[in-house]
Amino acid sequence: MFDLPLFLNSSLLSIGVFHFFAAMITIVSLLVVVSQHPVKSAVFLVVDLFLLAGLYASMDSHFIAAIQILVYAGAIVVLFLFVIMLLNLKADSIKGLRFSAPEAAALLISFIGFLIMTFNVFRGQAPEGIKGGFSIEAIDANGGNTYMVAMRLLTTYIWPFELASMLILLAIVAAIVIAKKDKILKSLIQKELR
Amino acid sequence: MGLTMNEFTVQFIATLLKFAVIAGLCINIPPIMVWAERRVPAFMQRRKGPNRVGIFKWRLYGLLQSAADAVKLIFKEEVVPEGAAKAFYHIAPVFSVFPAIMVAMAIPYGPDIQLFGYTIPLSVIRVDVGFLFIFAISSLAVYGVTIAGWASNNKYSLLGALRASAQMISYEIPLGMSLIPIVLLYGSLDLNTIVIAQSQIWKWGVVLSPISFCLFVIAMFAETNRAPFDLAEAEGELVAGFHTEYTSAKFAAFFLAEYVSMFVLSCLAATVFFGGWQIPFFDIRSLDVLIGIPGVSGLVGFGVLFVKAAFFMWLYVWVRWTIPRFRYDQLMSLGWKFMIPIGLLNVVVTAIVLAVIRF
Repeated sequence: MFDLPLFLNSSLLSIGVFHFFAAMITIVSLLVVVSQHPVKSAVFLVVDLFLLAGLYASMDSHFIAAIQILVYAGAIVVLFLFVIMLLNLKADSIKGLRFSAPEAAALLISFIGFLIMTFNVFRGQAPEGIKGGFSIEAIDANGGNTYMVAMRLLTTYIWPFELASMLILLAIVAAIVIAKKDKILKSLIQKELR
Repeated sequence: MGLTMNEFTVQFIATLLKFAVIAGLCINIPPIMVWAERRVPAFMQRRKGPNRVGIFKWRLYGLLQSAADAVKLIFKEEVVPEGAAKAFYHIAPVFSVFPAIMVAMAIPYGPDIQLFGYTIPLSVIRVDVGFLFIFAISSLAVYGVTIAGWASNNKYSLLGALRASAQMISYEIPLGMSLIPIVLLYGSLDLNTIVIAQSQIWKWGVVLSPISFCLFVIAMFAETNRAPFDLAEAEGELVAGFHTEYTSAKFAAFFLAEYVSMFVLSCLAATVFFGGWQIPFFDIRSLDVLIGIPGVSGLVGFGVLFVKAAFFMWLYVWVRWTIPRFRYDQLMSLGWKFMIPIGLLNVVVTAIVLAVIRF
């Protein structure tokens, strides 16, 4: 009787999804930088990170996608937003486009880099990357993404992993010390006086 | 039929249908819960509660009062406060509703069903990291509250928003921590695998890890800002908290988000601790063959999960009308000084016991 539209097949759709996410990420990233209001920038940053996670998910890396949202969008940007709101930062008044010499130089250099990259991309010869052992098939055969990440992290890379956690612990202790600076100083002085 | 369909097209259409059904369910949860929230306390306090609104002579125990209220809410005048950050003020309800409904998509509502020779999973988004997905998306709910409170240009709103977001961030930790022993026990991050593993009553999460269950239930109340942890909208102190300045349909959207996230957490509790769509001593998946209608097992599984979730929804209402509100410092010290240490200990003990048993 009738055939369902042929465009509904997974490979074409995934290319479409990739282009959608890529375009959205570009636009939203620009909005993060261009926005006048800091809160606007932070909200666009959340949307940006969310879209990035979508891109990961479309490449079948669900674990990385979930962690991306959980850590960056769910925790870190919340703190950004808190700080912006509590300091009650106002939108920058537009001063007109005036750059200092270093700023202009940085702009020029990044623009040249952008041109080179664009040229290379549209020349149709993407640089051939080196392929490692971690192809999608190999990972699926060995128990999936989450399992592989866990095994690497908790066997091969256990010491760097533990060191990183120590570093974070150090940062927490330092933050508490800074926050309670006066109290600690007072108690030290009292000890000295005794 | 000359209907040719490939596997992908079938799954695509099935996903759209499942999405529509679950979204429709989510939108219909708040009216029913509002009705329950009026009738249950009436029952507990020996009064009648709303019982008048009905069609002609059928009163339906006042069930249509909710419908009347929904219509009233939507057609009310919309007031935007002066000095509000307009764009954020308008977008905040979306930030609230979107995560709530999206999380509902990851719950397994029933066993995989066989229809027309295709295997169709009964959750809209089936990923092998269902747990992480739920936590990731629900951690975005903070933004709706924070942005709403800040954009309203009202000090009560801002204070309510700060309270709510501090509370939600704090209690996300014990909520996540209470589920780590479950992940260790069943060895999977996939919710459907966890449900399938709970085929008998002594394999249920609540039996294997009762401390996790207690922590989860406490954190569940705090995470949805419900009594006794509803400090974000303590009416004696903050008028109504972060949604003080919201009216009409936007207020209804916050309402919707709250009830949908209650429903999702109830479903999650049922899935993780009470066997989800499984019932003890009987395999629902064998119903398809027994009765001979394909897909009937999915309906029965959905019903079983819904009954289990309904118990937790009732618990929400029950607790709300039983226990008075906490003070803010009590809330924070309960979260950080009691629940997180217990949760950590629970993870460590479970891991050691499992390691010893499997050794």
